[in-house]
Amino acid sequence: MKKKIELIEKIEGEAWLEYEYKNDYIEHVFIKFASSRYIEDILKNRPPLDALAINPRVCGICGHAHLIATVRALEDCYDSIYIPQKALDTRELTLIFELIQNHFKWFYLTIYPLVTSQNSITKATIPSQTASEAIAILAGQYPHTSYSIVGGVVSEITPLMIRLVAQKIDRLIAIFKEYIINRDLDEFLYCNKIEEMLKKEGDLPYIMQNIVDKNWQQLGRSHDRFIVFGKSGLFKSGKSIHTRYRQHIDTKYITTFTTPNSKAKSLLYREKFYETGPLARAMLNKTPLIKEAHRRFGDSIFSRILARVCEIPQLLLYAKQITKSINFSEPSYIEPPKLPAFATGTGIVEAARGSLIHKVEIKDNLISNYTIMTPTQWNLGNGTPNNPSSAQKALKGLHKNMPTELVFKSFDVCSVCTTH
Amino acid sequence: MIFHKIYTMHSKLDILWLSALACNGNAHSFLNYKDIDLFLQEFDFVYHPLLPSKYKLTDIANFKVECDILIIEGSIEKHHKIADTYLDEVISYYANMAKVIITLGTCASFGGIFAQYSQNISGLHYRQKEKLNHYNSFYNKTITLSGCPVHPETLVGTLYMIRDDTKLPIDEYNRPLYYYGYLVHNGCSRNEYFEYKIDKHNFGEVEGCSFYEHGCQGTYTHAPCNINLWSGVNSKTRAGQPCMGCSEPNFPATNLWETKKHMGIPAKLPYKIPKRAYLSLAGVAKTFTIERFSKRIFESDEKKDRVD
Repeated sequence: MKKKIELIEKIEGEAWLEYEYKNDYIEHVFIKFASSRYIEDILKNRPPLDALAINPRVCGICGHAHLIATVRALEDCYDSIYIPQKALDTRELTLIFELIQNHFKWFYLTIYPLVTSQNSITKATIPSQTASEAIAILAGQYPHTSYSIVGGVVSEITPLMIRLVAQKIDRLIAIFKEYIINRDLDEFLYCNKIEEMLKKEGDLPYIMQNIVDKNWQQLGRSHDRFIVFGKSGLFKSGKSIHTRYRQHIDTKYITTFTTPNSKAKSLLYREKFYETGPLARAMLNKTPLIKEAHRRFGDSIFSRILARVCEIPQLLLYAKQITKSINFSEPSYIEPPKLPAFATGTGIVEAARGSLIHKVEIKDNLISNYTIMTPTQWNLGNGTPNNPSSAQKALKGLHKNMPTELVFKSFDVCSVCTTH
Repeated sequence: MIFHKIYTMHSKLDILWLSALACNGNAHSFLNYKDIDLFLQEFDFVYHPLLPSKYKLTDIANFKVECDILIIEGSIEKHHKIADTYLDEVISYYANMAKVIITLGTCASFGGIFAQYSQNISGLHYRQKEKLNHYNSFYNKTITLSGCPVHPETLVGTLYMIRDDTKLPIDEYNRPLYYYGYLVHNGCSRNEYFEYKIDKHNFGEVEGCSFYEHGCQGTYTHAPCNINLWSGVNSKTRAGQPCMGCSEPNFPATNLWETKKHMGIPAKLPYKIPKRAYLSLAGVAKTFTIERFSKRIFESDEKKDRVD
């Protein structure tokens, strides 16, 4: 059996892909992440609230999701705790903006050059800067704020701030229409015809048409199994196998394992690999255009890329709705009782790349154990040839001349999250 | 510190951006630089961890690249490899070639969070405050830009000053004083509460200073967070989060949300303010009760809220 090793870079770090070929077709791929930063160990024996400052530093691009997962895990340590709705709404907003900046950066810095061999840096930075500004208005700065704390948020959320944030949302809507697809957001969200989308102007139809022209639209099909743990006003949790939806899932059925030679953990649900992320969320939400893409092309790169970009208008309209409903008479923070000296808590968040889960154990007022389960550990695990992970399955069967890097990066690899 | 003008054969300076043990926070912070398109017209990345670059990481690891400026992001671990080559070899090769080295972020500068895992993890020249010898021959051409992350203006401004041969006054860690001569406290919108020693601070309110109860390190942390606002709009302390001291060598300390005190006095006082001066002023300030500070800023004096 022929073998080839390839270094994949610009994925918030690097990873090695060790391909095994049979007659020039990929038989199996071993995914290797070579370094770790040991954050789970660093958190041990620290006061629990320190995790709010340390955990955003897990990742430079989705650190805010780690902050929100941390605060939820800590708040879960209480038998009961009241968090003002205004704080919950504000957290939801900052999380939405982080997802949006991720989606734009991924589309323009990762996917666009791989499909077209062209670069478009400012189309990534202009919207991501706008999203960062919105976070900074509410949370002080981006990246690496720790503004969300047990009991609420540190900022006093005022009508003035929300007006500024609403303006950033309008700016992002205008950018989306100018860069991505020249169509009204509402109209686009209800569109369920691929050809109708392809006929419009914008970089999304351009990229998707490119993929069709190259006959790549069926590439990267995986298990067709999806899982979403986080719930919000936009996303619903559950799992979907093909198109069969099951609402009930529980983190107690998650198992992890490690593979020699890689620092990354792999995650399974009831011993099976699942895909998490925007495609999973769209499958559960039954987003019309993604449902149609999935019907025609399955869980391929076409559906995966489209699902991620289609999430942007959903997020923007949801953010707009939140800004209109914030109750300014509420406090931003209510001082909670002291954290219990002995407790466990779980925090779940839908991050840009999928479900992110933090688990904290507190003993004698200190963190005794901390576990971080990241979306990339779901999608890019290391299974066996008979039970491959989602990314391994997506690569399996590809001819050596096919765009393997695009298929791999369609999951949006975050090396630093994977190994933290 | 004065650098000799960098003469190059190309019109732009070539920057090699190396990531060690990093979260990429500095790389993403840099992408928030408003005029990044103009910057990229004047500087070239031979390698950047996120942006399109002239070379691949394997080219870097095989020593095929030339650079004028070496930027290192992330903590240095003895056995860490990039593209299968020991990072130590890669750093030594390019550090020797570069005219200027920038340790970008607290990890590359002092070891940061990840150095807390092992004695074998550090910054390039420091492990917290301890000066290391391994790369000592490069120390005089190194500029330290600490912060977690570093504000994009701090990086870009420094790069332009290097290019333009601008005299760069520095502190004891080789940090440019144009940025690190400031304390996070300078420009904080909550300063009045500090000046008049108002101890009370509640999260979720625009009023109050978190120095007395909630561990704010802004009065002894060197960084321009409240001079060059983040995304041009805000800072952590303005929002109401205590400064965590992320640009200092000992970041992160423990118990970050509480002010450590001795006999009711904050254990750590503002930078280079003698204890006697601080206590005398605090004593005087505390003898006054200033009514304005007991009121909410957004509360009308009487029932004057406009109702349409």
